[in-house]
Amino acid sequence: MARMKFICDAERCIECNGCVTACKNEHEVPWGVNRRRLVTVNDGKEGERSISVACMHCTDAPCMAVCPVDCFYKTDEGIVLHDKDLCIGCGYCYYACPFGAPQFPQAGAFGLRGKMDKCTYCSGGPEENGSAEEFRKYGRNRLAEGKLPACAEMCSTKALLAGDAEVLTTIYKTRVVTRGKGDEIWGWAMAYGGSGMLADQPGGKA
Amino acid sequence: MNTRFARVAAALALAVAAWLPAGASAQQPAAPAAPAAQQAAPAAPDWNKPPAWGAISEKPGYASVRGRETNVLIQDGGHEWRKLRNGPVTFYGGILLLIPLVVLVLFYMAKGPIKTHDPLSGKLVERFSSVERVAHWTMAISFVVLGLTGIVILFGKHLLLPIVGHAGFASLTVLSKNLHNFVGPLFIFALVIFITLYIRENLWKPYDGAWFGKFGGLLSGEHVPSGKFNAGEKSLFWLLVVGLCSVIAVTGLILDFPNWNQGREAMQAANLIHGVAAILAIAMACFHVYLGTVGMVGAYKAMRTGYVDETWAKEHHQYWYEEVKSGKQPEKAAGGAAQPATGD
Repeated sequence: MARMKFICDAERCIECNGCVTACKNEHEVPWGVNRRRLVTVNDGKEGERSISVACMHCTDAPCMAVCPVDCFYKTDEGIVLHDKDLCIGCGYCYYACPFGAPQFPQAGAFGLRGKMDKCTYCSGGPEENGSAEEFRKYGRNRLAEGKLPACAEMCSTKALLAGDAEVLTTIYKTRVVTRGKGDEIWGWAMAYGGSGMLADQPGGKA
Repeated sequence: MNTRFARVAAALALAVAAWLPAGASAQQPAAPAAPAAQQAAPAAPDWNKPPAWGAISEKPGYASVRGRETNVLIQDGGHEWRKLRNGPVTFYGGILLLIPLVVLVLFYMAKGPIKTHDPLSGKLVERFSSVERVAHWTMAISFVVLGLTGIVILFGKHLLLPIVGHAGFASLTVLSKNLHNFVGPLFIFALVIFITLYIRENLWKPYDGAWFGKFGGLLSGEHVPSGKFNAGEKSLFWLLVVGLCSVIAVTGLILDFPNWNQGREAMQAANLIHGVAAILAIAMACFHVYLGTVGMVGAYKAMRTGYVDETWAKEHHQYWYEEVKSGKQPEKAAGGAAQPATGD
């Protein structure tokens, strides 16, 4: 079984926000909710790089661990999803997540949180695949249609890659060998444990 | 025609002239050290190396998406928060909540309720005004609601969810969360008024030290005189109400109002402090609730009606009783039977 992950290749990302727009458009998320966002480090200085970040679908997901109502579940492809019917909007997943992935539409006065929304890896939620109910709550289920996440498919420089981890690292290895830099895969150490270096990944070995 | 051609030619010549030395100088410094190094490490110009991601991921960068901390790639404080909350706070906190229950059940079975030694006089003295009682009960009821809903949020996943199932537990918890968030500010309001009303009688007096030596005669049954509040009640006032409840109030506000733009670090810390302080507060409050209800005859009625029997007053709060009788404290005696002071 595949293990779905994201790679954002910082050497390729041009901060065009195409992934952010693709995601918003695909899932018709409400205002104020950004399942994916771009962060530029060293902006305007040497070593400026941009990273597109969303839920990384962690191996030992902190959101799952702290949810007081246990509304998260993990698919057999390693995708972390949640059930909005159970979510109480407490914000604990937001405290726990290192990537800032969980989003809360404001549900009332004083910043009262609504039900959490986050990247589903374009694979919907517990509702029936492709149903209107699923689209309303979680957005489109592209995986069920045999497609990859919209953000990665839309990426103009193919900086953002989605798919099986081993396939991704194989592609990434070719790039690193060709250009001779960027052998640290951003976010992987934090999300999946161990080292984030390409050489330590299954498909990244020489 | 000629002049234009000349101009273009001159511009081209300038461009070439500018490019040649630039190209030469760019290559020259690299040349001496280069041959071996260039083969080993491919051409990564020094000025365009990717950053080491570790530290820079946690520093705020630039993000076009607006919002709280959207420009921070990684904030891993949540890992520590998760470890502490799911680990010691839940485990030892749970044990700490059980200890008072066990101790009090055993104490009740061994000693039974504390009664007055002498028969009741039938004469009543006012102990709490209606304002004091409303403040106490507003705080008490909101404390219980907050305590129970907080327990559901922290421990329910382990205790209730396996019994009632995911859907039922989610309904209970969303109710708990909303009650907790809305009753919280009411509790803080009552807390401020309570402290203002009760602080004077809870100031430390010289005779309070002696009370501790004998633990109020709770175990020996010996009579230990005290003021309106004994040293045990005063300790509870300062530690539980002024100390812990203030901590709970401040951290609770940080958590209750995410629209104040506080960062995740503040909320992670606030949540831990809030939980630990609340568990300690509930554990302490158990002893107060015990003595105020089943543990001591006449105590519940005092806060319910505002009046106590003179015998009760003499035996439990002798100095206060003497002050009331000598006219230093305002006295409002209710005649005859123990009438609830509702129409006061």
